[in-house]
Amino acid sequence: MKGEKKFLAGLAAVAEAAKLADVDVISSFPIRPYTGLMVDLSQKVANGELDAEFIHADGEHAQLSICHGASAAGARTMTGSSGVGVTYAFETYSPISGGRCPVQMVIANRTLDPPGDFGSEHSDVLCARDQGWIMGWAETPQEAFDNTLIYYRLGEDPRVSLPQFNCQDGYFVSHIPGEVVIPEKSLVDEFLPPYKPAKPLDPQKPYGHGPQIYSDQGPILQLQRAILMDKAKEIIPEVLDSFNKIFGRKYPSYIEDYNPNDADVCLFINGAHSQTARYAIANLKKQGVNLALCKLRFVRPWTTDEIAEVLSHYKVVGVVETNNSFGISREAGVFTPEVAATLYNLPEKKRPILISFMAGLGGEAIRLDDFYFMAKKLTDIADRKKIKKPVYWIGFEEE
Amino acid sequence: MKNELEKEEKLKMSKPKISEKKQLPEGGIVDCPKTEQEKMTTGGWRILRSVIDEEKCTKCRVCWISCPDAAINIDEKGNMKTNLKYCKGCGICATVCPVGAIKRVPELDFDEVIVYRELPY
Repeated sequence: MKGEKKFLAGLAAVAEAAKLADVDVISSFPIRPYTGLMVDLSQKVANGELDAEFIHADGEHAQLSICHGASAAGARTMTGSSGVGVTYAFETYSPISGGRCPVQMVIANRTLDPPGDFGSEHSDVLCARDQGWIMGWAETPQEAFDNTLIYYRLGEDPRVSLPQFNCQDGYFVSHIPGEVVIPEKSLVDEFLPPYKPAKPLDPQKPYGHGPQIYSDQGPILQLQRAILMDKAKEIIPEVLDSFNKIFGRKYPSYIEDYNPNDADVCLFINGAHSQTARYAIANLKKQGVNLALCKLRFVRPWTTDEIAEVLSHYKVVGVVETNNSFGISREAGVFTPEVAATLYNLPEKKRPILISFMAGLGGEAIRLDDFYFMAKKLTDIADRKKIKKPVYWIGFEEE
Repeated sequence: MKNELEKEEKLKMSKPKISEKKQLPEGGIVDCPKTEQEKMTTGGWRILRSVIDEEKCTKCRVCWISCPDAAINIDEKGNMKTNLKYCKGCGICATVCPVGAIKRVPELDFDEVIVYRELPY
């Protein structure tokens, strides 16, 4: 990949991408770790590097409402938040996606209160997974940079027109610098055309958003929104092919099947901890243990057919949950029931055994030892073809 | 592997199409002049009806701009007219009127029925 190499943390990389994407309206409200983005963007606007309207809101709800209006009027908008800020703005999520406003919200994950925990945990934004937003995680600052451009292109496509949660783990990605290649502006312009909404708000040609409807019109509008997610699913490969071609990268479309050692057990993982998992896989190979990694690139739309296809090659799948959902089915996190439901689409013979690992909650790092423990449990199950326990809480289990 | 799976009839995800007859504007975004929704007449919610005294009215249009439901229209003569099909009877117009030209009268004092909808059950 050609371009200038910089040493940037995840949020600084997103700010660079926003500059190249020529964002029009930015709204902000401080909460850490998201504040990193606010600092970088406000500096860029103040220095005249980025010609954008920078609005400081009085809260996250206002932040999202500003972007809702600006996007409906045809602006390319960026906002963001973390932890309780994400949940404070909850009311606005469904109207924004239902109104076809492709707002981009950058999320640096943070644990929900109480207690005041700054650490990264995916529970904050996963609450909003049912609100019709495109959602996915970056593993490195470079991926955070790339995702910003990919999500704008995908969300602003007239066939989709949906808002996007551009997520990254707080601190692990957002504040730990890594090498980021910043491409030429001309390449970005080639990949990302200016945003042209189908029905922009304009006093000369007015439109009405969000009218009152009678309940028999509800199912039609809901099905429209469901079909929109399918459209996004269809368009993802097209967008990523174009991105890979222009910027010389090798992103898989929906899910990354990282299996260098031909293993038959895999970890199903999302976000920054897949970096540590890759090291663990290399180290385990030296000890004669084979482990694979399936990294989700998009949480929404959830690509059932493709994920089922990839997971059908394995005997045992271990879902690493960096989130907590109290009282959910299977008593782990959000992803276990989703993966279980996905595997149910497979014929019984092809269906792998599924277990979960609760790890990295409250922002604790998942260490190499933890991944060795997971690998041991997975290979044990593959040998015995029987599960002892469906959920392991990392750090609390006896050997 | 892939062929084997197809033989065993793996479940595939799909959704029905919306027929043209049923289709609604994408996202419910409608052209502004057509905002009268026959299926969502809200006039039936009203308990007090706003009655405008045309002699007192100075045509200042404060009620027209304050109405949250755009239910006050201006006729050819420039007079304010309440759209009783959609007026919910919130009374903002009566409160903001600077000359007190709008009175709120109980709906049951009127003989004619403005909104009538056949119940589905």
